[in-house]
Amino acid sequence: MANSGVGGGPSAGTLHLSYGPHVRSGESTSSIMWQVNLALLPALIWAVGVFGVRPLLITLAAVLGCVAGEQLFCLLQKRRTTLTDGTAVCSGMLLAFTLPPGLSPWMATIGGFLAITLTKGVFGGLGHNIFNVALIGRAMMMASFPVAMTTKWIPPQLGNFFPPDALTTATPLAILKEKGFEAALASFYQGGGEYDYLWRLALGLRPGSIGEVSVLCILLGAAFLLLRGIIKLWIPLSIFAGLGLVSLLSTAPLLHLFSGGVWLGAFFMATDYVTSPSTPKGQIVFGVGIGLLTGLIRLYGGYPEGICYAILLMNIVVPALNDWFRPKRVSTMGVPS
Amino acid sequence: MSLSLSTVLGKSVATFFKGGVHPAEFKELTCQTPIEQLAAPKQVQLHLQQHIGEAANPVVKKGDVVLRGQLVASAVGSGVPVHASIAGKVANIGRAPHPNSVEGQAIVIEAGENPFQEVEFPEDTAWRELPAADMLSRIREAGIVGLGGAAFPTYRKLTLPAGHKVDTLIINGAECEPYLTSDHRMMLEYPEQMLLGAWLMARVIGVNRCLIGIEDNKQDAAELLERKIGELHSSLAPVKFEVRVARTRYPQGSEKQLIQALTGRNVPARKLPMDVGVVVQNVATAVACHEAIRYKRPLLDRIVTMSGMGLNQPKNLRVPLGTGLATLVAACGGMKDTVVKIVAGGPMMGRTVPTIEIPLIKGNGGFLFLTKAETYLGDFQACVMCARCLEACPLGLEPNRISILVEAGHPLDTAEHGTHECFECGCCSYACPSKRPLVQFIQVAKTAYRRDQRLKEAAHGK
Repeated sequence: MANSGVGGGPSAGTLHLSYGPHVRSGESTSSIMWQVNLALLPALIWAVGVFGVRPLLITLAAVLGCVAGEQLFCLLQKRRTTLTDGTAVCSGMLLAFTLPPGLSPWMATIGGFLAITLTKGVFGGLGHNIFNVALIGRAMMMASFPVAMTTKWIPPQLGNFFPPDALTTATPLAILKEKGFEAALASFYQGGGEYDYLWRLALGLRPGSIGEVSVLCILLGAAFLLLRGIIKLWIPLSIFAGLGLVSLLSTAPLLHLFSGGVWLGAFFMATDYVTSPSTPKGQIVFGVGIGLLTGLIRLYGGYPEGICYAILLMNIVVPALNDWFRPKRVSTMGVPS
Repeated sequence: MSLSLSTVLGKSVATFFKGGVHPAEFKELTCQTPIEQLAAPKQVQLHLQQHIGEAANPVVKKGDVVLRGQLVASAVGSGVPVHASIAGKVANIGRAPHPNSVEGQAIVIEAGENPFQEVEFPEDTAWRELPAADMLSRIREAGIVGLGGAAFPTYRKLTLPAGHKVDTLIINGAECEPYLTSDHRMMLEYPEQMLLGAWLMARVIGVNRCLIGIEDNKQDAAELLERKIGELHSSLAPVKFEVRVARTRYPQGSEKQLIQALTGRNVPARKLPMDVGVVVQNVATAVACHEAIRYKRPLLDRIVTMSGMGLNQPKNLRVPLGTGLATLVAACGGMKDTVVKIVAGGPMMGRTVPTIEIPLIKGNGGFLFLTKAETYLGDFQACVMCARCLEACPLGLEPNRISILVEAGHPLDTAEHGTHECFECGCCSYACPSKRPLVQFIQVAKTAYRRDQRLKEAAHGK
């Protein structure tokens, strides 16, 4: 009896007994994930603005695939549903952001479903995946739909919500790889000053994947996450350092830094908690590794773009990085060992 | 209220080396109102076990009439004695509910006609000149334990083993746990007693430097003490007193963290503050030591913060030891129906109690009546390796790795991640967005190691 002798109070047997702490911070895993989803919206809105409504359909289709896969695994593993935690929605959005805007939406649904089930579900769900879910989805789609994944690009056109299917083009990095810098520039930019093409890249007026084209929109979302303390700068900055270093070997270092999916990858994919190292030192090694690999794949590998495989390759070494780079133990600071 | 120098200059305020969190303070519920004297309770239950170690031994029997302040149980081993906190008749010596364990032996005293009738405690006019050994024995005879919560016998903490040299006494007025304000009120209402008590403790351990550590959410206390140090200058000589304001950041009031913030010294794992030349004592303990040495007055009351949104009138109460928590609740206008947890201590390191039918022991500095909105009762999720616990841990441990290993059934593989160093401050659990009970996982690992140790010893026939 909790209240004997005193008026009011909780009724008997309703008091909770537990270990401390009895207060918790306001942030939860799902609140973090929904903030990430919110931070992805500017890039999605921009994609609709320049590529039409199809990117929106593709995003919804990818989310549908991910959500279906997540729910299926909840049922199979007899867990309570995890749909509301926002992680499946996030994986779906990120997957869609790596796809060409002219793709058939059903492909995205298949990609999303496979990504969640094979990358996350079979490993035990939230927190247990080794690889970035969205990027495994993209890698599987590259293998499954190679033509669609490399040709369904749309030239950007502000306010044209229903561009005809026939209008296909290639990404600047693909042209750079095939035909060189001048041709790459010509694909999205005519006339103007020597460096005016950088503005078009920053704004997002170039062909490319749904969520990768506008550096400014990505930065807007990233700034929000940085201010909220959800992501830190160690990984993105080291990715740019690594990629910048390799880019110096190329004919178009600035084009490398400002195009492709490196901004999306650096701020939204490489920073995924589950698949990135825990300490700043580990994160720097991880980021530099991604940057170097991205550059090497672009310059010397078989693909025009390398960020996807660079992140996936570095995902493999995360457990080792967590072992090698531990937090500094305060109890041993200033103590001769 | 004037601005502190550090605020004006934008200078960074002293804090511990790493980590920490800043939960909502909720101090405003009680920090503005003066300490209220609780009316004499009808009975008190004085537990024989008030601190770690051996329980005290009753020296009264059922039916004895006692005065407030009279010895009722003598110290055993390295423990301290227990005194009657009200005048009356010994009604029983037997089992009673205990705030920390389920039950314990207690002396029950029914209040007499004048419950506050005390044994006389005249001032010892030579109190300032007493030899250190006499001061120490008075502290012990007064039954004083650390009133900050740990309740370790104070005389033992002030007894330095041969070869140990300390140069600094730290008075801990950080009070970093949310809600709790009893030390804050103590500093505001008993500043002279606190300073003189600190002076005496400094004499006992033979140091001439005393730092008073206060978090910057208690500027009024810091300023008052600064002023009092000036006024009492001649009585405090030759000990040099200094108020040091530290950042409001939990666990600033944890002994080793406060030493880092105030002196820049680091106490290594498994070492004591005295190993880096420091002794730390709580504000209320200092006040109690002053009474003990100057008047030979034992520890009879303590200040208790009664707070939380589930309490009708949160306040600080001066309470005779052994008073039932129910009496305190009644003095605070009762509790609301919405209370879901009652916590003895602060919300970070305090422990829940199942009932208010428990008597107060020396270590109880506060009770919190938490509603659903203030606490967390939900489930926890898998670790997402966000590393917030690594940032929050003031020791640089890896609560995430420990919790994952414990979940996977490998509690004995966690030592390298810091299991044995953890002092369970709770910063990791507080910060965890997956709401994982990380401290509890670490406790599981510690228990597994202890069990493993016992099994090994048994196997070797020790």
